[in-house]
Amino acid sequence: MLALQLLINGLVTGCALGVVSVSFGLIYATTKLFHVAHAGVYTLAGYLAWSLVRQGVPDIVSLLIAMVASAAVGAAIQGVLYAELERRRATHLVVLIASLGMLAVMQNIIAAVYTPNILQFPLPWSSRMIGIGNVRLTWTQVLTVVLCLGAFAGIMWFSHRTILGKQIRAVASNPFLAEITRLRPQRVYVTVMAIGSAAAALPGVLVPLDLGLQPYGGVTPLLTATIAMIAGGIGSIGGSFLLAVGIAVLQNLSLLIMPGEWSIGVTFGIFVVFMLFRPTGLFTRR
Amino acid sequence: MDFLYSYIALAEVYVLLGLSTNLLVGIAGIFTVSQAAVFGVGAYIVAYCLMHEIVGFVPALLLASACCVVLNVLVTLPSLRVSGDYFVVTSFGIQLMATAIFINWTGGTGGANGLPGIPPPDLFGFPLESNELLVLLTTAGTGFGCLAFWLIMRAPFGRLLRAIREDELAVAAAGKGVLRAKVSAAALAGAFAGSAGGLYATFLSFVDPSSFDLDASILLLTMVVVGGARTLPGSILGPFLLLALPQALAFIDIPTSIAASARQLIYGLLLIAFMLFRPQGLAGEKL
Repeated sequence: MLALQLLINGLVTGCALGVVSVSFGLIYATTKLFHVAHAGVYTLAGYLAWSLVRQGVPDIVSLLIAMVASAAVGAAIQGVLYAELERRRATHLVVLIASLGMLAVMQNIIAAVYTPNILQFPLPWSSRMIGIGNVRLTWTQVLTVVLCLGAFAGIMWFSHRTILGKQIRAVASNPFLAEITRLRPQRVYVTVMAIGSAAAALPGVLVPLDLGLQPYGGVTPLLTATIAMIAGGIGSIGGSFLLAVGIAVLQNLSLLIMPGEWSIGVTFGIFVVFMLFRPTGLFTRR
Repeated sequence: MDFLYSYIALAEVYVLLGLSTNLLVGIAGIFTVSQAAVFGVGAYIVAYCLMHEIVGFVPALLLASACCVVLNVLVTLPSLRVSGDYFVVTSFGIQLMATAIFINWTGGTGGANGLPGIPPPDLFGFPLESNELLVLLTTAGTGFGCLAFWLIMRAPFGRLLRAIREDELAVAAAGKGVLRAKVSAAALAGAFAGSAGGLYATFLSFVDPSSFDLDASILLLTMVVVGGARTLPGSILGPFLLLALPQALAFIDIPTSIAASARQLIYGLLLIAFMLFRPQGLAGEKL
């Protein structure tokens, strides 16, 4: 019975993680930057929503504002920091270090403003339970599954069916050629960062509803999401979502045999296995 | 006086660590945020050996270095086979996993409380108990590390590493083993970090997980970036400057509750500013 409950919990966490993974993958595949500061955007979204809810803003409006604000932050990081680094012909390593610096800045501004302690959302409905058979779910979990699957479907549709999505994929596959055809890569990068950041804000708000907020809490989900992205195959949206769900399920099932503190070990073990046997990921076409 | 001694000794330990980070980041061009974890492994091994009187200080230090060499090689080998970016994941993963082990494995590491009361180091049966002698020990250790770094960078192996940093493909085309050179650099970095950990544990006579977390790794990277990558003067300058920063901050009236975040915030700002305006740091070469 416990196993079934853990399986369901894993599926729920996996949906949230999947959206982080897809959003990071979208950014990574397009800009080719390892955007470590994405963890900061993810965390920031939760704190923004928390502040708004505290001010008495309706829950759903808070979520939307947090997503829009995250999009703006992401676009600003690309438009100001990364674009300037690109203009100065910074190497990959330099951009990576700057991104890590950005992460440190965001985390510590949050820690200075909100204190480093765990904050809980003051929402009574979020922990109310509903039972389906023998499995019990909180409303937050139901909402997470619905919204995250919706976001995943939305990103899928967007990047394969809309003009903008096709432009993004064109820049991702060959920025030089895209520039010749009058697409401006830098502008596309800003758009991608905005979309990716808004998408990451969704799990960034939903996951803390259950687990609470912590300034340094974004690194582990981002790491897990990145592993899912690599294992699923870079550039494959469906692959990274699926692998994220898989990893989250394995993490939760591992609670049957070992305590939760070691779940990062499970994730990392999966990564090493992929590294040794299938470094290009499960779902790559090239 | 004691304050000055501890400043010097800590800065020296960080110089040794900075050399280790510099080997990876500056010279081999591998981004890493896990050197604090390797540092911690070294510190805990030496602390454990001395507290349980398993071996003396010198063998413990050698054991710690050897373990860190193996750890660093194991970490770098699979990722380097694939792509540079994958190493970022490995490095974050190792750091988070090490922190989890340091905090949760109470039997070996004392958990979140750490290991207090590490006995003073001994050199061949002669215990070093006063602060002066301990500072001399760290100075000797760091001096030895600096000399080794300088000699290595002058040797053909050092030139090979520099060449890889400039153009990996050209080096490979010239028939040199790029992977082997990078793994050797990582191994060397492990030895440096491991011995720095041992010196740190014995000087403070106390270790706890907070000295070896992701923030510590970021501080370390900031030291290397501010001082300057790839050079010996840069690796020495960075730690001395950045360890003086908390003291300078003490003059500004910041509430103690946010002091730690404020410090870490400054490190982040320094990373961004240096990457934008002076990627070579104060006394380094092009990064």
